[in-house]
Amino acid sequence: MPRTTVLESPGCPPLRTLTTDILGLVKVVEARTNPAGAAKVVETWGEPDASRAIVAASLAGRAADPVLAVARKNGVVELLNPLNGDAVAAVKTVGSASDDGGAEGDPLVALHLFTRQASDSMLGTFIACTDKGKASIRSIMKENAASGSDAGPSTTWDVCSGGNVQFCSVDHGESYAMFGGKGTEVNLWDIASCSKTWSAKSPRANSLGIFTRPWFTAGTFLCKDDHRKIVACTNNHQVRLYDTSLQRRPAISVDFREAPIKAVAADPNGHDVYIGTGTGDLASFDMRTGKLQGCYIGKCSGSIRSIVRHPELPLIASCGLDSYLRIWDTNTRQLLSAVFLKQHLTTVVIDSHFSVEGYYLFSTVVTAP
Amino acid sequence: MAKEKKRKQPASDAAPPQGDEGEGRRERKGKKAKKDKADAILPSQIKNKDKRSELHSKIKREKKAEKRKLARERSQAIRRAEELGEQPPERQVPRTIENTREPDETVCRPDDQELFAGNDADEFNDVLKQHMIPKVLITTCRFNSGRGPAFIEELMQVIPNSHYVKRGTYELKKIVEYAKNRDFTSLIVVHTNRREPDALLIIGLPDGPTAHFKLSKLVLRKDIKNHGNPTSHKPELVLNNFTTRLGHRVGRMIQSLFPQDPNFRGRRVVTFHNQRDYIFFRHHRYIFETKESKVASKDKKAKTSESKSQPEKQVICRLQECGPRFTLKLLTLQHGTFDTKSGEYEWVHKPDMDTSRRRFFL
Repeated sequence: MPRTTVLESPGCPPLRTLTTDILGLVKVVEARTNPAGAAKVVETWGEPDASRAIVAASLAGRAADPVLAVARKNGVVELLNPLNGDAVAAVKTVGSASDDGGAEGDPLVALHLFTRQASDSMLGTFIACTDKGKASIRSIMKENAASGSDAGPSTTWDVCSGGNVQFCSVDHGESYAMFGGKGTEVNLWDIASCSKTWSAKSPRANSLGIFTRPWFTAGTFLCKDDHRKIVACTNNHQVRLYDTSLQRRPAISVDFREAPIKAVAADPNGHDVYIGTGTGDLASFDMRTGKLQGCYIGKCSGSIRSIVRHPELPLIASCGLDSYLRIWDTNTRQLLSAVFLKQHLTTVVIDSHFSVEGYYLFSTVVTAP
Repeated sequence: MAKEKKRKQPASDAAPPQGDEGEGRRERKGKKAKKDKADAILPSQIKNKDKRSELHSKIKREKKAEKRKLARERSQAIRRAEELGEQPPERQVPRTIENTREPDETVCRPDDQELFAGNDADEFNDVLKQHMIPKVLITTCRFNSGRGPAFIEELMQVIPNSHYVKRGTYELKKIVEYAKNRDFTSLIVVHTNRREPDALLIIGLPDGPTAHFKLSKLVLRKDIKNHGNPTSHKPELVLNNFTTRLGHRVGRMIQSLFPQDPNFRGRRVVTFHNQRDYIFFRHHRYIFETKESKVASKDKKAKTSESKSQPEKQVICRLQECGPRFTLKLLTLQHGTFDTKSGEYEWVHKPDMDTSRRRFFL
């Protein structure tokens, strides 16, 4: 063991990330120094309250009118302004609105806010999914955002008959959604018609005749322009590539260490994925061949809950139960910056329209009605 | 050599009245050219063993004399300052690995509102706020023999309201279910290997974290000299040095094993002392006694009388160790109850975290 080493992290380029945690706080972490500097917490929004813990968050990172959606433990989806943290709207979702046990029986697990806007009068459209597999799409109009009770058109459908849903992922074109979970195979849905277009099939039993039940923990679409390639990660530490146009069984399946994989993010280059495990290992895989490219080493000691890739810069941000937000360089796999955020973190999102001056280049003032 | 110099410097700083003395000493040394020459040759450079050991012992003797001299100077400076009624020179604090610990941003601060909000939301809050009475289930690994049963017997005397259940061949997950159904608040598993207890698993119930400790240096009660026998009072609890967020959490977890309303009449104290990430467990009985101090009366005879007008009866605290003595080291802290296959860890010790001996996690 070395006596002492000073680990200097080189700092990251200008960046704005938002993290959510189990006390229901949203924290804004910014690195402002150009070309590289340490990231710092600049703002904290919300009051600490465990019953309003945030389970999922999604950012529609538009240049104009950005909206951050957060799903809380009590079944409320809130739309926030990611510039100043004002709550724009709050809606009770399906699972808790009906009287079947409320939020306790069927908590929200996944949330995706659509980036494209149908019309200007629309504040945002999101797809939310509960633990039991009730997916719903709701739109919030600007007029009735404040009331929150009647919130525009909505559709609801059941994703799975038995089992639980653990993740939901929407492709780049936002016309397909993918669900999977414990006891639920990965299945692909057409959002416009709310119909199932494809579902996976378990791999065959192995040479010993042992069959493992499906338990998917994370998934993502691999390419931007192709919704047919899906990467799904399982609880028994496998990374699988499904090609929906080809077959229902996985095209590639790779094992990674021994802890369940908890988070996955795809690279914009269309073939790399980043995965994080329950013991805090972070690695990247090339899904063309299924080869491990390398691990990210840097004292990461707690389960990784969320990974997000910066759309332009070669950066990823990861966060999890060790309460650190870490920012990594994907080319060198080096830790650029680590920020201690005091709580167990659930999600991280990167605001890609941030520039050093602190202004949004094309942004207009978001009007909160 | 460099070390010696380093040690000298603070010594000369510490004795301000003789600030020049340090310089003088060095000059005096300079005069003795022979000595200087000898200093230049290290014992390790000499090949003859006799000569080498001779030189080595000589250097050692000199060092010792130097040290004694410095100590004398310090004590004289203190005495002089006392006589003159001045502020005594500052005491030197030895540099230890503990007090030169690497700065850590996760250390808890008392003014941190988020910390308290987090405390209110965590799994131990019900027990610690006394909404629930802690009830602990103790079990073992599947093959329990050697010192294991004796250790459990003593552990049950330490932790009030603890129940032993035979492990049988049940899976640990089944036992967790069993304990949940019977409203236990914690589950302790003592793991033995080759008839020696070597690991402790503490599981918070119903959804609390799971801490896996390495257990070492176990000494049972009968092997402690002059040990006492504990009473069945609820013990007081001392938790020392749990500073970081992780340490705080582990401390709260340990705290939730014990009832929060100790019987102070029992004069029984259980200590978990954290030092360099090792948690030392001790169990004592204490007593406050009033004693006439004989030393004071002797002084009276000798000289001063005005200081002896203080009460002759002195209150002394005496400790008697009872119950087991052991050391714990945290290996992992898992989120949720015991689950090796799909568990998420809040903290795992990894070798790449050991970048320094001055870095601690608790």
